Amino acid sequence: MHKVLNNKLAIFLFVFPGILLFALTFLAPIVLSGYYSFRDTLAPGTNSTFVGLGNYTELLFHDSRFWLSLRNAVLLGLGFIIIQHPIAIFFAIMLDRIGGKAEKWFRTIFFIPSVISVVVISKMWLSLLDPTFGVLNKLLDSVGLGALKHAWLGDSSTALVSMLVILIWAGFGWGLLFYYAGVKGIPEDLYEAASLDGASGFKLHLRITVPLLMPVITVQITLAMITALKQMEMVFLTTNGGPGDSTQFLAVYLYNKAFSASQYGYANAISILFIAVCLLFTYLSNKLTRSDATEY
Amino acid sequence: MKKNTKIMLWLFFLIIAAVQLFPFIWLVNFSFTSSSEFYSSSILKWPDAPQWQNYINAWVDGKFARYFFNSFFVTAVTIVLTVVLSLTLGYAFTRMQWKLRSLFFTVILLGIMIPIHATLLPNFAIFKSLGLTDSYLGLILPYTAVSVPLGTFMLTGFLRSIPKAMEESAVIDGANIYRIVFGIIAPLTAPALVTIVVTTFLNCWNEFIMASTFLSKDSLKTLPFSVMNFTGQYSSDYGSQFAVMVLTSVPAIIIYAIFNEQITKGVTAGAVKG
Repeated sequence: MHKVLNNKLAIFLFVFPGILLFALTFLAPIVLSGYYSFRDTLAPGTNSTFVGLGNYTELLFHDSRFWLSLRNAVLLGLGFIIIQHPIAIFFAIMLDRIGGKAEKWFRTIFFIPSVISVVVISKMWLSLLDPTFGVLNKLLDSVGLGALKHAWLGDSSTALVSMLVILIWAGFGWGLLFYYAGVKGIPEDLYEAASLDGASGFKLHLRITVPLLMPVITVQITLAMITALKQMEMVFLTTNGGPGDSTQFLAVYLYNKAFSASQYGYANAISILFIAVCLLFTYLSNKLTRSDATEY
Repeated sequence: MKKNTKIMLWLFFLIIAAVQLFPFIWLVNFSFTSSSEFYSSSILKWPDAPQWQNYINAWVDGKFARYFFNSFFVTAVTIVLTVVLSLTLGYAFTRMQWKLRSLFFTVILLGIMIPIHATLLPNFAIFKSLGLTDSYLGLILPYTAVSVPLGTFMLTGFLRSIPKAMEESAVIDGANIYRIVFGIIAPLTAPALVTIVVTTFLNCWNEFIMASTFLSKDSLKTLPFSVMNFTGQYSSDYGSQFAVMVLTSVPAIIIYAIFNEQITKGVTAGAVKG
C-alpha cells in the first residue's frame, strides 16, 4: 500500500497538469497584472511608462468610485444576508415539513431560475422593469398605484435595490438548496425530544433548527459577501454600473477602465486590489467563523 | 402536521412558485406576440396571431444551431477535463504521500476565492500572445481552470469519508495506482463526480464574460451570444428578442429536468459533511 501511494511518477502525473493549468490561468495573470499595475498604458503591448505606486495612491486616496464600488458590494451583501437568507431558511424548513410529492415538486420549481443563463436573466429583467412596456409598471397601474411607476434600473435611487431584487430572485434556488440540505441533516428525533418538552411550531424551529443550521449559515454568509464582491455579469448587462455609479462594482469598474477608457495600467491596479480584498475577506471570515462545529 | 396547516402551506407554496415563475411565463407569452402588442395595458395577452416568425428569426439570426454546437463542444470537453483533473488531484491530495501536498492543496483552493474577473485583463494579454484568443481552447482552458478548484474541493471532502479497505485489497491483488484511481475510486465517488459534472455544465453553458472577452470570431461564439445578437438589428423587435431568450433557455432546463435529483443529492452530501 505504502509503495503504491508513494509512486512519485503517479503523483507527478496526477498533480502536474492541474498545477500547470492553474499557473497559466491564475498565477501568471496575477503576476502580469502586478507588473501592469505599476505602469501607465493604453493596452497590453503598447508603449508604457513606469509610474511606481501612482495608480495605487490614486485609487486609494483620490478615486471615490473605488470606495463606492466597495460600499455597493457591502450593501448588496447585507441585502443578501438580511433578506435572502432568512427567506431561504424559512422555505428550507417548510419544504422539509411539507414532505411527499410537494417537497420534490416545489424544490424543483424554486431552483429553475438558477439554471438560466445570466444573459437571459439580465435581458428579461431589463424588459420586466422597462419604464414603458415593463410588467411591474403595468401592474402598478392596474392596481391604482400608477404614481409609483418608475424607471427602476434607470433611477439612481432605485437601481441598487432593483439589482438586489433580481439577484435574490435568481440566486434563491442555490441558497434554498444549501439550507434544505442542512435541514435534512438534522435528525428527526431531536424534533421529537423538543416537542415532548413542549416546544412547537415557530418556537421549535427557532430553538432547534436555526442553532443546528449555524455551521451552514456561517458558510453561506461568507459566500453571500463574496458573491456580492464578485458581482459582474448581471450589472454589466443591465446598468453597466450606472446611473451615476449607483450600481458600480469593482469588476465592472475595472473592465470598463480597461476596455472602454483604455486605462489598462490603472485597471490592473484595481484587479490587484480586488484580489486582495477578496482574499482578505475570506481570511477574516474564516478566522471569525471557525467556531467548533456542532455535533449531533 | 395538521391537515389544515398542510393545505395552507400548499397554497402558500403555489403562490410563491407562481410569482417566481411569472417572469418566464410572461417571456414565453410575449415571445408569440408582435412588437406592437407589447404596449397594450394587459399583463398577459393571448396573441392576436401567434408570431412563429419570431422563433424563425431567433433560430436563423440567433445562429442557434452553430452557437449550440460551440456551447456543447466547449462544455463537453471542459467537463471531461474537469472530472479527470479533479479526480487525480483529489486523490493525490487525500491519499498519496508527498512533501508539498498541503501547500499545493492551499494553492488550488485559492482558485475558489480569486475572482475570475480580476484575471480577465492579464489573461486576455497572455491568451493573445499565445494565440489562444478566438479558439475553442481559449475557452476550454479557463473554464477548466475555474471548475477544477471547486471540483477538487468537493472530491477531497467525499474521499475523506470513504474507507480505504477497497484500495488496500486491490493493492494486495496487484492493482497499480492507475487501476485504483480510475477503476475503483472513480465509481466509488460517482455521486460527487455527478455533482461536479452538473455544476460545471451550468457554469460553462451559461458563462458570458470570458467568452465575450476572449472571442471575437462569430463562428466560435456560444449560446448566450444568440441573445446578444438581437440587441442591434432587432432592438425594437421585442417578440423576436423574447423568442431567442426562450429558445436558448430550453437546453439548460431539459438538462436540469434530467439531473435534478443528482444536484440535490450532491449538494446534500457536500453541504452536510462540509
